[in-house]
Amino acid sequence: MTNPARAPSRLHPAIVFAIICLCLALIIWLVSYAVPLTLAGQAYLLLIVLLAFRYWPPMIRWVASMPVTHRVVFGVLIGSMILGHYTLNGRTYFPYVVWEIFPFAHEDDPVTCREFIATTESGNKVRLLVEQLFPSIVQIGPLDGYSAETTEHLARVLAKAYNQQHPGDPVWRVDLMVMAVKLPPPAGESRAQPSCELLKRYDISSGQ
Amino acid sequence: MRASQTLRHLIGPIELLHEQAGPRLLRLTRLGIFALWIVKLLLDPLWRLAEMPRELFQPVGILALLPASAINELLTSNGLAALLVFTLGVLVLALTDKAFPVVATVAAVLLTAYSSLIRSFGPAVHTDIVLLLAVYALAGFAWADWIALKFGGKKSLPGASSYPLITIVAMLCLSYCLVGLSRTVAGGLSVFTGDTMEVWTIDASLRGYYFNTNIGWHVPEWPAVVFMLRSGLPFITLFEITAPLCLVSSHYRWIFIPVMFSFHLLSLLFMNIFFFDDMLLYLLLVDWSRRYPALRAPSHPERA
Repeated sequence: MTNPARAPSRLHPAIVFAIICLCLALIIWLVSYAVPLTLAGQAYLLLIVLLAFRYWPPMIRWVASMPVTHRVVFGVLIGSMILGHYTLNGRTYFPYVVWEIFPFAHEDDPVTCREFIATTESGNKVRLLVEQLFPSIVQIGPLDGYSAETTEHLARVLAKAYNQQHPGDPVWRVDLMVMAVKLPPPAGESRAQPSCELLKRYDISSGQ
Repeated sequence: MRASQTLRHLIGPIELLHEQAGPRLLRLTRLGIFALWIVKLLLDPLWRLAEMPRELFQPVGILALLPASAINELLTSNGLAALLVFTLGVLVLALTDKAFPVVATVAAVLLTAYSSLIRSFGPAVHTDIVLLLAVYALAGFAWADWIALKFGGKKSLPGASSYPLITIVAMLCLSYCLVGLSRTVAGGLSVFTGDTMEVWTIDASLRGYYFNTNIGWHVPEWPAVVFMLRSGLPFITLFEITAPLCLVSSHYRWIFIPVMFSFHLLSLLFMNIFFFDDMLLYLLLVDWSRRYPALRAPSHPERA
């Protein structure tokens, strides 16, 4: 005995999709009293993207062709990325992190940044950058986030690393400077360097 | 009628990327991904991290699960060199395809430890995360193949080569999509209407990274560049959110690739930030198996 063929749906898939989107929007609006709107809104938009793929025939065919184990792997990999993003945590569950790049507007004016400027034996001025002297580190945190002791320790470590690479012209002194750039630039002023102010000076030549 | 035909012509064929991929393409992808990791590790003097102040070390990910004594051992020159050499050895083994599920899993664990370690001295930046997730996909699907063949009563898996490739592209696109959604929803209109990009550019430029063009902080002096950055952010965000279309539309991919490539090059020029690994993963946005029959699955009907 064979099953009778299923009657085709009367609603166009686009209409079904629109109805689902509206229903989801309603749910998001309801839960937004309990969940922050930034989370609920992102979840809503992501669900729309996922739903579009869910109802796209080649994707249905591809997923249906997968053995169960492969479907589990696919689901775990994609699901973990999404869950990791919604933890809003960039460290604990690495590599499943929150994906935020330029996520908010800065209001800083002028824009400031602390930096180590070294003076070498021959009088040259050089920037001591952690990311260049220790290339394993992709990015270090802002220097104003560290204690005075840690900042001094870091200055000495960077000077030592620089001196190992440039034994002919070693660092004698490291200045912790705060660099500042105004937005917009002062009228008629042409800048060769950002304005800078000395915060602290570390004597390296004494070997302390 | 004509309008709909024009629209169809513009949209182009809607086909799933890598649907026809065969074992050769998967093998090439494995070689490319593991070779890229090998090059990255060969260029990294990891042992020098032992000189960094320990106060800066804030363990990321699985490193936070290790006891303090293990961290102390790891953060010595010998410990770091051992991690680097052992990881390199496993990655070279992964190139040979011998016992691939086991070797790829060990490689995934070691690369996770390595990636966590280099981020533990600063923020957990997003560079090379998708490349790490690609190793997870290669390992996970290799195990799935093994289980399906061993316990699933199957003699072959015709579409198996396409699964990891499509998943890697899906993860790359999802990462862009989440970035775009996050900026749009969490940042709101103020991100796109104010001087956000100038501030981010100056901040990144003043800090300086490995690449250091030292020109980004001049941006406020150049109105044309300011205009480009301000108008470019919503444009790029739109491409980020719609990145999953790369999975289905070849016409979209041929717009997406140059646009995002230019965006990443401008990020390098003005902000000293470069997503080198993502750029190489863009090679997977080309549907090689549709172009070259030798890269198609043997059972695929369109194989020449």
